[in-house]
Amino acid sequence: MPHQFSYDLVVIGSGPAGATTARIAAQLGCTVLLVDKRQELGAPIQCSGAVSRHALEEVGLPIADEYIQEPIYGFAIYNQDGQRTTIDYRRLKPGEYGPGAGQKPLGYVVDRRRFDRYLMTLAERAGAEVWLKTEGLGYEKDGEGGCLVRLRRYNQDIQVKAKALVGADGLQSQVGRWAGLRTHIKLNELASCLQFVVDGVPSEGLLEIITGHQWAPGGYAWVFPKGHGYAEIGLGVARTMTESHQNAQWFLGQFMKSSFFQERFADARILEVQGGGVPLAAPLRKQYADYLILVGDAARHVNPITGGGIHTALSGGKIPATFLCQLIQSGQPAHEQALKGYQDAWLEQLGHKMWKLYEEKSSIFREADIPLRDERLYRTMSDYFSPNSEYKKI
Amino acid sequence: MPKPAPVIFDIGWNACINCGACVAVCPQEAGFISPFDTIATDRPCDIACMICEDICPVTTITHRPAEPAAQPA
Repeated sequence: MPHQFSYDLVVIGSGPAGATTARIAAQLGCTVLLVDKRQELGAPIQCSGAVSRHALEEVGLPIADEYIQEPIYGFAIYNQDGQRTTIDYRRLKPGEYGPGAGQKPLGYVVDRRRFDRYLMTLAERAGAEVWLKTEGLGYEKDGEGGCLVRLRRYNQDIQVKAKALVGADGLQSQVGRWAGLRTHIKLNELASCLQFVVDGVPSEGLLEIITGHQWAPGGYAWVFPKGHGYAEIGLGVARTMTESHQNAQWFLGQFMKSSFFQERFADARILEVQGGGVPLAAPLRKQYADYLILVGDAARHVNPITGGGIHTALSGGKIPATFLCQLIQSGQPAHEQALKGYQDAWLEQLGHKMWKLYEEKSSIFREADIPLRDERLYRTMSDYFSPNSEYKKI
Repeated sequence: MPKPAPVIFDIGWNACINCGACVAVCPQEAGFISPFDTIATDRPCDIACMICEDICPVTTITHRPAEPAAQPA
């Protein structure tokens, strides 16, 4: 029976990884269906929205007012007592970075609702078909060198034929589990995060990162500029390092009321409440199965030191799009053996560095002596964001 | 170690921020998920490891024992 719907690629999940995979695959001449179960992309927000300019340019994304909330010019890393290392590129490289003519920002804080919609729009303009309110239910081999993806769209069950399926369905990924990949994250490697968007807290164009077991055991706290004079204050904790009553909400309360920032936060007025799990984990050891690959958070393409996932999702979307289009256009089936090449290419370009960061992060949090661990995390974070860091471009 | 008794989870929706962290740590197979991106609340969990309750940033997951299946008369 001929199928009504047939595509080279079906991508489940239209976040930064899924939409970038879809856009670049469509640009390379593949037919692409991109689906997302939500009615409005990016929401509910589970992310602080910080991304480097380099990350956007690397995947050919225009810098657009539509999604930018505030430009960023550097970092301030604090130890538990409030001493800070400032890495302000406006001072380090004034010829290059700044708000003036001929200068550029180092990065941006983006509105994930607008950013994700913008990425989807670009995928559509590149020729991808996009269905919202469409949930993935499962997939099976079709016996003809491809697979059948079962979807539900506005309550209607639909089968779509695809040469390969891309699971870009985030932290809660179900697509990987369909294929029996163990995608769940260990409790000690998922930071439990909460953040408030607030009014009444001044910021200075820097991403501020506050380390210290006292404020955020197993993670860190942050204060990011959010545009319009707003800021976001948040933190992530490892629940294996806290007492049972001390959830992320408890720590955020402590941080706002009792830290060295209590005066700075005294007039904070909460405008939005957001939360999420941030994997401070190793990349998934196996990110593919027959006719299926995982990208973005679903494959744990997240920087294990910073918890940043937008850059890794964008770059991690370009790699599979290029690989899959080449494979499909050469007429080869997307068997597991062939798709291993995708993971190898990804490891080569990004993954090995992420593994190295993971080892470093694990070694810090294995340190039993808390003052020593605090000192190491503060130093590592400060080094990580320095202009000489070997990881500057992750 | 004795096998834990199956439980049914309950989400306090008033505090839930739909962050999905509970699903991300859940070792269950595909599909143990609610329409609101939380772990399932409409069927028993026989793993009962409770790490979903630990990861929740706002501690809004609780559980009760699953009723034993009705015995034939």
